[in-house]
Amino acid sequence: MTIAIERLLILAGILAVWWAAAFHYGPTVVPDPPATLAAGRRLAADGTLLAALGDSALVYLSGYLAAAAAAVPLGLAMGAAGRLGKAFEPYVYALAATPRVAFVPLVIVLLGLGVEAKVFIVFLGAIMPILVNTYAGVLAADDELVEMARSTGAGKLRIFLHIVLPGALPFVVAGLRLGATIGLINTVVAELYTAVQGLGGLLALYGNTFRMAEYFAIVITLAFAGVAVTEGLRLVEQRFARWRTR
Amino acid sequence: MNRPEPAPSGAFPAAPPAEKPMPIIELAGVSKRFEPPRGAPAVDALRDVTLSIDQGSFVVLLGPSGCGKTTLLRLVDGLLPPDSGSVRVFGRAPVPGPGMGFVFQSFRLVPWSTVRGNVEFALAGTGLDRAARRERAEHYLELVGLARFASAYPGELSGGMKQRAALARALAPEPEILLMDEPFASIDAQTRELMQAELMRLWALRRSVVLFVTHSVDEAILLADRVVLMGPRPGRILEAIEVELPRPRWRYDVRAEPRFIELRAYLWNRIRELVLSDENSDFFGRSRDF
Repeated sequence: MTIAIERLLILAGILAVWWAAAFHYGPTVVPDPPATLAAGRRLAADGTLLAALGDSALVYLSGYLAAAAAAVPLGLAMGAAGRLGKAFEPYVYALAATPRVAFVPLVIVLLGLGVEAKVFIVFLGAIMPILVNTYAGVLAADDELVEMARSTGAGKLRIFLHIVLPGALPFVVAGLRLGATIGLINTVVAELYTAVQGLGGLLALYGNTFRMAEYFAIVITLAFAGVAVTEGLRLVEQRFARWRTR
Repeated sequence: MNRPEPAPSGAFPAAPPAEKPMPIIELAGVSKRFEPPRGAPAVDALRDVTLSIDQGSFVVLLGPSGCGKTTLLRLVDGLLPPDSGSVRVFGRAPVPGPGMGFVFQSFRLVPWSTVRGNVEFALAGTGLDRAARRERAEHYLELVGLARFASAYPGELSGGMKQRAALARALAPEPEILLMDEPFASIDAQTRELMQAELMRLWALRRSVVLFVTHSVDEAILLADRVVLMGPRPGRILEAIEVELPRPRWRYDVRAEPRFIELRAYLWNRIRELVLSDENSDFFGRSRDF
């Protein structure tokens, strides 16, 4: 319970800094919290915010879910393939280390400026952390448990399903969380660089026209979206790891 | 071998009518060498090991670390193939499965499965249906005194309880052979004594072959029909000693028996000699009377 109080105090501190900055720079650069709240209310009331949120959510969820659906099986396959997986390893790591924003111009050339391009940019951002973590999770299988399973007569498939896969699960979830954050970043990147749309589009619009109160309202909406996504995944993680917390 | 023949429950050939029972486990001239990575010298885990174990006997492999005791268990279970020589279990090359139960020093319970789930895991190859597996698991958890913890996760158990769960897992398929790799080494001394008595009691209920690895002299004499003394580098069998102390040994103070004391002194000296003359040991070259 005390942590809640401490968190509120930190929030008050952040608001104070924000307020001081607003006072120092003036409302044309940094709007104060009440002005931002009022702008947020206006955007919510006329439907702008909800429409943009819907556009962004569609892009984000499609790209992210596609990335998860591709990355988890690929990572498992790479881990299970032994030597072949090891052969792919340097290329996968190289791709994971390349800033995926580097591919945005290529994606635009290939797919245009529409929803497909946006979804693909999110997909590109989210896939690598999930893939790399899933792969690492399979490699981290507990050799002692694997030998125990072998001694009971378990075959390769049974060992994979009962020992390797559950053991890799925390890694997979960690990858999903990382991918979720990067996917959110790439959603905004995609909306800034391709057809201006969604929350990223509103950022560009208000930023370019110096409507800073609206601009700040969008930034805070994005922060809330990020918190919602990571908290949601943390709850999922807890459900899968009941044996550890009990 | 004057004890009654246990009822055979597995699919192994019935013992021939001869006086001498058929050996269940036979190792002939077995060698195993490990090549560590990065050019370290190869380790002769076992060299030219010959051993034969009869139905229903409790054999303890005793020796200092590095004498290939664990490797020998793995070879018998079929987890490892020998480099040369032959390993025969029931007259065939061994295949891991419900016919042999393995108890590890580090328990090796699946942390995301309940205690019951862990025991049921070992029953997959037995051909029992779901309900029968559940019933069998409950029965063996009852036998080791863990019935109340069937739905608990291993992380909630103490060390002694974990090893009892692992013991239930190894016993539940009702194997003809029980392989135990220093099962009580990482348990506190008090619990260890209780577990030793527990094991003797369970073994009296159903006599399988037990091949038990330890480096505790007391534990070896307390449990064994036969103590097989092994030496390190290369891992090899030095001698085998029959322990004729009457059973059940938990009914009297076996440690006070003259024969126990005599064996204990003898084995202690043999092992001390081995350790002092082993150049890889921390005690190599120490004075003989330290």
